[in-house]
Amino acid sequence: MQPVLRASDISKSFGAVRALDKARLTVERGEIHALLGANGCGKSTLCKIIAGTVGRDTGEVLIDGKAAALGSPRLAEAEGVALFYQELSLVPQLSVGENIFLGREPRERLGFTDRAAIARETEALIARVAAVAGKGFTPDARVADLTPDQRQLAEILKVLARQPKIIIFDEATATLDRRQVEVFFDILRELKAEGVSSIFISHRMDEVFAIADRITVMRNGQTVAEFAATETDRYAVVYAMVGETGAIAASVRDHRPLEGDARLVVEGARAARLGPVSFTARCGEILGLGGLQGQGQKALLAGLFGAEPFQSGHVSLDGVDVTAGRPADAMAHRIAYVSGDRGRDSALPGRSIFENTAIASLVRERRHVIPGALFRERFADVLAGLNTRYAGLDAPIGSLSGGNQQKVFISRWLSPAPGLLLLDDPTKGIDLGAKGDFYLLARKLADEGATVIIYSSEDSELLSLCDRVLVLNGGAITADLTGDRLTPFELTRASYGDAA
Amino acid sequence: MNRFVDLAKNPLLISSVAILALLVIGELVSPGFARGDQIVRLLTVSAILGIAAAGQNLVILGGREGIDLSIGAVISLGAVIAGNVMNGSDAAIPLAFAAACCAGFLIGLVNGLGVTYLRIPPLVMTLGMMGVIQGGLVVLSRGVPSGNAAPALMAFVNRSAFLGIPGILFVWAAIVVLMALMLKRTRFGWSIYAIGSNENAAVLTGLPARRIRVLLYGLAGLFGGFTGVCVIGYTGNSFISVGDQYVLPSVIAVVIGGTSLSGGAGSYTGTALGAIALILLQSVLTTLNLEFWGRQVIFGVTLLLLMLLYGRQARLRV
Repeated sequence: MQPVLRASDISKSFGAVRALDKARLTVERGEIHALLGANGCGKSTLCKIIAGTVGRDTGEVLIDGKAAALGSPRLAEAEGVALFYQELSLVPQLSVGENIFLGREPRERLGFTDRAAIARETEALIARVAAVAGKGFTPDARVADLTPDQRQLAEILKVLARQPKIIIFDEATATLDRRQVEVFFDILRELKAEGVSSIFISHRMDEVFAIADRITVMRNGQTVAEFAATETDRYAVVYAMVGETGAIAASVRDHRPLEGDARLVVEGARAARLGPVSFTARCGEILGLGGLQGQGQKALLAGLFGAEPFQSGHVSLDGVDVTAGRPADAMAHRIAYVSGDRGRDSALPGRSIFENTAIASLVRERRHVIPGALFRERFADVLAGLNTRYAGLDAPIGSLSGGNQQKVFISRWLSPAPGLLLLDDPTKGIDLGAKGDFYLLARKLADEGATVIIYSSEDSELLSLCDRVLVLNGGAITADLTGDRLTPFELTRASYGDAA
Repeated sequence: MNRFVDLAKNPLLISSVAILALLVIGELVSPGFARGDQIVRLLTVSAILGIAAAGQNLVILGGREGIDLSIGAVISLGAVIAGNVMNGSDAAIPLAFAAACCAGFLIGLVNGLGVTYLRIPPLVMTLGMMGVIQGGLVVLSRGVPSGNAAPALMAFVNRSAFLGIPGILFVWAAIVVLMALMLKRTRFGWSIYAIGSNENAAVLTGLPARRIRVLLYGLAGLFGGFTGVCVIGYTGNSFISVGDQYVLPSVIAVVIGGTSLSGGAGSYTGTALGAIALILLQSVLTTLNLEFWGRQVIFGVTLLLLMLLYGRQARLRV
């Protein structure tokens, strides 16, 4: 039997970045197919190409053996490909039926919406998932009145109403709890029984092995392995994701032995999507927070700084309680925070470089009058020390490049030097030169006695910079990697919930 | 060339040019328009608007769609309170200022608390407050004008204190200098720009954004109360809608002066020039025999044109 989808030699570049390099993907009819790979491996781009939201440069996509026209989402839909959106797409004030047929309502002769047809067809759709529908899930039920499980079901029915052959679920389970995932899997099995194929992207290894029939692994834009789920194991999959070099090569960092006592002690820190977590860090240590995106790393940093205070737990630094209720508390204890989302968390647009850099010092030093000359000299020195390129302190912040802006924002915290520096994906979207300056700065501050905690969305950054990496998964610390265990292989393995 | 374009878009320059042009036009239409005593007269009227606009300026600079529409009602309230406290007695002038300013400040704080902690949009909050004060004034005064200004207060606003210039102009000049120093040289001033520019980033540098915003609305009320006392000094007695005419002009003066309605950029020096330009425009229109409604139309059109002009400045994106 020919596969329902066969994509071969798919290449795609965004500017100079080659996202896909002759990638391929084959999905059989009625199969649940897991697509795996590290962040940025190209799996999302491949799915977008198949769903018609992104065009391909080269390559061929066959659906049921015929070349498919995928120029737009609408064309892809006509070919039988549907992309499932987690939440976002339902209108709470409308009924289940109205939501499912939103924008393509069946019409009566006079052009009015044919409500009877909506009710009839929705009824038929619900019958297909009757096993998991639950009480009160009728075509007339208002979406706002549904349980979260039922809303998720309505989303899936919305996709099913288009009678797709292939449904792409891109991280569809990321925001679901364990029980919701079970319901979701029941639906997937239901679809499978009807001959509908699913492409399933997940970052949870146990989910993949619980549901997938076959697994395709991508790395650096290429398809590197295909497995039947029953004939492989987690180790082999992680190995394929990381690649031979990454798995074998020991880290080339100069490992510095971690000496001395813990000076930062975090006990039972808990926030909305975090914890409770406990850990310690030493003087001079660069501690990385690893793991997949959104596992509580940002919540941990925001909690330590008091930007979003912990619900419970204690933090002490050098024996002093520094549990912060607001940023000013943390700042009083020489704790600094630099976010990678400069536009949202750092920039004062329209204000001068001088204001953008000196503002935090006014709070820390409890000054009410601005010591113009003193501060100008001080921050000109700090910015020069970071190799910042700028026209003058009175130029607007927006006149700088991303990397130079980030140097301005970190310079807020450098005079006097911080005791604990919290970095939240600080090099996101900045150029390589500025990144290098940043790494040097972090190391220099640590050598001078600061403790640095950094979250990065790039594993390579953590591996090259950190003395130790805590891996977070679902808001808990699942691995503590140092020394010989701080390798790409171990980090990837721990990130995907496969801690040794 | 670029530098020339930047200069041409400088609000201080635009306002100054507008002031000179209006003086010339006024003098051409009606000789004597730009005479010394006439100019002092115009500046005195500008001062009253300018002091009211100082409060408006602060809440607008603080961002989050900041605006104070209750400022007219607060001015009326200040005038009525001052009139009743003084009742013609010079000795009660300090008490009149204190009472009017306190009342305004408290009302402003309520506005600020509603805007920050109850998250009521400023437009709605201050509009509601305007209704409450106006209604309250009708109930309290039973609609009858009451109280009148002390002679010394009227002299302060209308008569020469020094070299033909009345005291209120010296006070206004002091306010301009103090506001400029406050905004440029103090942490409080920088905090206002910071929360207006990016509140989240401001909070992450340790600034108490909410408390600052509450205080800004409080100060707007305080300036409103102060203006109310000046108004009764100008007119001699008070009626309960005396402040209404300042609501729209106070916003326009701020905009003419180059303060961004989205907050975080602008200066009070600009607003002061804006107030002068606006009063001059009003006078020229009166000289041209335009009625009240005609002036309102011109005000509205001026506001829209300026928003168009300033809105086209390339805002550097971060």
